[in-house]
Amino acid sequence: MIRIAALIALLGGLAAGGLVTTIVLIFVLRAWWSTPFEVLGFGGPPEQPIPFPHGVHAGVGDLLDEDGNVVTYADGQPKTALGLDCTYCHRNVDKGASASVPPVEQCIFCHKAVQEGEDNPLPGLANLISAWENKEPVVWERVHRLPDSVRFVHEAHIRYFTQPGNLLPSGEQATVAANTCSTCHGDVAAMAEVKQVRSLKMGDCLDCHRDYSAPTDCTTCHY
Amino acid sequence: MTTNRISHKWGMVVDVDRCTGCQSCVVACQAENNIPINTEDVFRQRRAIQWIHVERYWEGEFPDVRARFIPVFCQHCENAPCEPVCPVYATYHNNQGMNVQVYNRCVGTRYCANNCTYNVRFFNYWEPVWPESLRNQLNPDVSMRSRGIMEKCSFNVQRLQKAQRVVEGQQGERLTDEKLKEGNYLPACVQACPTNALVFGDFLDPDSQVSHLKEEHLDGHGRGYKMLEHVGTEPNVIYLKKVDIHAKEVVKGHA
Amino acid sequence: MGITRRQFLKWSGVSAVGAVAFNGCLIPEQELQIESPVFLPEDLVNGIDNWYATLCRMDPEGCGIIIRVVEGRAKKVEGNPDYPINQGKHHARSEAGLQALYHPDRISEPLAREGDAHVPISWDEARRRIVDRMAGMSDRSKFLLVTQPLRGHQALLASEFVKAYGGRSMAYETLEQVTLRRSILEVFGQERLPVFDIQACKYLLSFGADFLSTWVSPVKYSRGYGELRQGSSRRGLHVQVDPRFSMTAANADEWVPVKPGGEGVLAMSMAYVIMRDGLGDQAAADALTGGGGHEALSAFSPDSQQVRDATGVEAGRIKELAHAFADPRNRPVMAIGGGSAGAHTSGLFNLRAIYSLNVLVGSVNTPGGIQFNPPPPLPELSTTDVMAMGVPASYREWKEMDRPQVLMIRGVNPVHGLPADANFRAAVEGAEFVVAFSSFMDETTAMADLVLPEHTYLEDWGDDVPDPGPGYQVIGFQQPVVSPFHAGTRGFADELMALGRALGLDLDSRLGLANVTDPTMEDLLKSGAEKLWEVDRGSVRASSFDGFWNGVLQRGGWWDTGTVDNSGIRNISPLDTAWPDISISDAPGGRAFNLVPFVSNSIGDGHLAHLPWLQATPDPITTIVWHTWVEMNTRTAEEMGLSKGDMVVVTAEGNRTVEAPVYPHPAVPPDTVSMPIGQGHTAFGQYAEGVGVNTLSLLAGLTDSSTGALAWAATRVRVVKSNLSIDIPRFEGNQFAEEADEQAIIKITKPE
Repeated sequence: MIRIAALIALLGGLAAGGLVTTIVLIFVLRAWWSTPFEVLGFGGPPEQPIPFPHGVHAGVGDLLDEDGNVVTYADGQPKTALGLDCTYCHRNVDKGASASVPPVEQCIFCHKAVQEGEDNPLPGLANLISAWENKEPVVWERVHRLPDSVRFVHEAHIRYFTQPGNLLPSGEQATVAANTCSTCHGDVAAMAEVKQVRSLKMGDCLDCHRDYSAPTDCTTCHY
Repeated sequence: MTTNRISHKWGMVVDVDRCTGCQSCVVACQAENNIPINTEDVFRQRRAIQWIHVERYWEGEFPDVRARFIPVFCQHCENAPCEPVCPVYATYHNNQGMNVQVYNRCVGTRYCANNCTYNVRFFNYWEPVWPESLRNQLNPDVSMRSRGIMEKCSFNVQRLQKAQRVVEGQQGERLTDEKLKEGNYLPACVQACPTNALVFGDFLDPDSQVSHLKEEHLDGHGRGYKMLEHVGTEPNVIYLKKVDIHAKEVVKGHA
Repeated sequence: MGITRRQFLKWSGVSAVGAVAFNGCLIPEQELQIESPVFLPEDLVNGIDNWYATLCRMDPEGCGIIIRVVEGRAKKVEGNPDYPINQGKHHARSEAGLQALYHPDRISEPLAREGDAHVPISWDEARRRIVDRMAGMSDRSKFLLVTQPLRGHQALLASEFVKAYGGRSMAYETLEQVTLRRSILEVFGQERLPVFDIQACKYLLSFGADFLSTWVSPVKYSRGYGELRQGSSRRGLHVQVDPRFSMTAANADEWVPVKPGGEGVLAMSMAYVIMRDGLGDQAAADALTGGGGHEALSAFSPDSQQVRDATGVEAGRIKELAHAFADPRNRPVMAIGGGSAGAHTSGLFNLRAIYSLNVLVGSVNTPGGIQFNPPPPLPELSTTDVMAMGVPASYREWKEMDRPQVLMIRGVNPVHGLPADANFRAAVEGAEFVVAFSSFMDETTAMADLVLPEHTYLEDWGDDVPDPGPGYQVIGFQQPVVSPFHAGTRGFADELMALGRALGLDLDSRLGLANVTDPTMEDLLKSGAEKLWEVDRGSVRASSFDGFWNGVLQRGGWWDTGTVDNSGIRNISPLDTAWPDISISDAPGGRAFNLVPFVSNSIGDGHLAHLPWLQATPDPITTIVWHTWVEMNTRTAEEMGLSKGDMVVVTAEGNRTVEAPVYPHPAVPPDTVSMPIGQGHTAFGQYAEGVGVNTLSLLAGLTDSSTGALAWAATRVRVVKSNLSIDIPRFEGNQFAEEADEQAIIKITKPE
């Protein structure tokens, strides 16, 4: 009996250990090949110093709450998203390598007028105003980060996709720069907190480059 | 779909008769490519990094003595000895005629440097360090090579990539010698050289200055030669012989 | 969100193994963040580079450069392709200007001496102290302003300041070109240095001038040299007469090693042969000899033993040189001289004889010969006073100067560069109040009572009238390409103007700026540019002044290729036919050698010794870096039992000694040693301190008898082996190389 019990215990132990190993292995492999599972803070959106709502700024139409109801002001008027073009704030995106985050001054242009109200809670605006008053930069957590050895240039990608005849992977024709962003960044306007949606690993880049007969020479990105 | 990339074969013609050994190219290269400061100790240990360097050769004894200078850098060989020995394919030949070093692939075996005929590959024996304030000068377009990475002349591929984006991408034109120059996209050494001893361009472009020089000098009647040609590396760099009024025809040089 | 990925990774790293495993692989904190800038500058696009034209101030040559600026940081220096002097090219020294800008040892705030140390003070306090000291000065003639040679509006400002306040100003250059300027004035009647048209020249005879490396305008000359060699189907020839195998000599077709000081005798001897054989221009020959013909030069016959002794060159060789120089088939020919040829007790004699050769063969005011520069377009920039600001004081003037009571020094380091006999150190110590405008704590600045940190030239306004110019009128404009890196630095010119106001000197109206409140250098430049705009000719013309101002800043300057000086020589001044006084200082003991010091191709005369790129740039001949060395002939070294790296004690007159490693090579005359200058700093930042030795400290201070210029090549030294030996840091042998018998690295060919 004891032998059988010991054997069962051993097998059970092995199975449990194997299960843990397998889970860890799956997690690591998934992170390696694609994006990590959203557990333990991996893969999820980072916490930002200002909970900037991309939906309000870049979305279109009425704003909805978590249950799908239209958000209204005290007088019953629905709140609508502003529908700003991505390039309104990420000004460099069609000019140079980096998309750039907007300077505090640019936020203040509008938020001089757009203040917090009782029916218009703007969490985090206080942080923005204090940054402006103290003339301090806002330090954001980076959402998309490529390794140091990669030289990604936004400008070239946007230029390509906005040329007539070059269809996006979604099959659409981009007419302005902002049409192209969601290809890699997902529907940012629909995200409460921005997170990375594509793996943006070299394989991801290369798949797309191959699809579009873009150069796949190492020096295209690594120099 | 736009058209495929226009093909190039980048190369250099070096007129040894123009080179005065002034070292302008050397410092221009250091500044452009984030090459760590070569300290006194680094030189003593024979580990100085200079992607382009000027070699000096003596000939004769006083008073009939000559010193000759030649700028030496990666020859971007067609048949590069460094390429087949790399176990991780960190060095390879690209479709624009350049021998490329991919830093993120490199694992630091140093086989390539040992196999290089021209001694133009340099190994980072240490993590590169700069005083904080000097880091302001570093070129944001060039990767920092960490310890354990091999590096070498890249023909300033960062400038070429930029030129291609601007000229071929935005203007839709072929990148030629003229376009290179007007856009200030020459490699830093070529741009600096006070005597115009270095000429950079596209050997596939029949109108380029390098093609003209190749045609004029390489077919047996001019001054053209390739360095250590007998090794069979087929470099993309053509040297033009030094003219010496005392030369017989070809005189043996020695280190 | 409960846990961030970084927190998780930190937890994982709690155990020691984890700490090692993860910390090495972790991405630095700042890499995971991205900063929103506070402001939205209109002219800044992230990640896109701007190129601004300005001027290089690393060398007196004054090249036009363009600076790559990315997000407010200067990244790269390149030559300005439009600028007439350097036409898009530049020297290694220009490149290193960025390291001066971002140098870790830059002085960032005003400092005042307290006891042996310097303590930070505010600019207001610093200015108050200067005004207190200077306003109450009883004898204002005891004020002395020492600067580098100044040109353009800076020279105008400094000269007006000294005129308005009182006292004197002196320009300092380590190896001054006093004798060169004097010889150009005496032979050609020119106050400005002439154009040497190397580009079109076909036979270039250079005496001692290291013109490809450091002499006068090396980038311009190098550019011309490339053309001389391979710019046309007929390759030009270059003969270098030089006691040292310089980089320039190494490039020459023929190197004629000459005894130090004998260059002038050699030139006179050539003139004798040319006249005797009826080669050159007969009228010029008569004018040069006062009608005496070659007989007047008979003392310089190449066959005389005296000539042989003075030059060390065989009679046949001199005749060959003379015949080649006067041969019409070799035209255009040109003779230039300078460097060590002018640095003897016979310096002026030498250079006059050398430049007169051009007169003799008709190479003045001709393509491929010597051409003259017109005066600058703004007459106020070429008055005698302003021109004098650009001419360095001779060694004799330093030695005999009246001791100042208040001394203001700007950007120069005479304590290190002047030989000990000038006793500049005592002048600084003796002065009651010393103010130094400087970016670095060099030997001179360290002695100052008040240290005022200056903008570097990349942060400051300025202009330049290049001397020598390109043969036509040029004014280069220097603009700040980046905002000041340290908040506590100020421009020298701005501060001088502010001081003028505080002292009640009425400088502003003297400079024609009375209608501007608190004018700065920028206003002064604009007022000059406005006059230039009104001239309405040349490379930049515009309907409005604003358009013109933007135009000159974009192009890096203004020039008018139509303004050439074709005046030629008005009166040919006769040659000095008396035998020159060639003396040399000597020392007892050991084996005697002529010492030929030379300016380093990288760190110059030492004013760039603080820049690591330049310290690490190999010397062209020896490939040595970060050091001072003694070049000696290989055979001589063998005879003395010396090999590479053996330390030797070099002793000059007055028991001055330095110790340096010997570097034997085959191209040193057996009776000569040469050593680079510029090292041996006891201050001047982490990259200069303790590197090498100060070669200039060997000099006994002989001078040229007529100009008072330092005869720095007139020293004989004794060399004794010491028992130490070092591994000289150098590039040579950096990598293992085998000699390939069948294939030369450098192939050579006969000219076609």
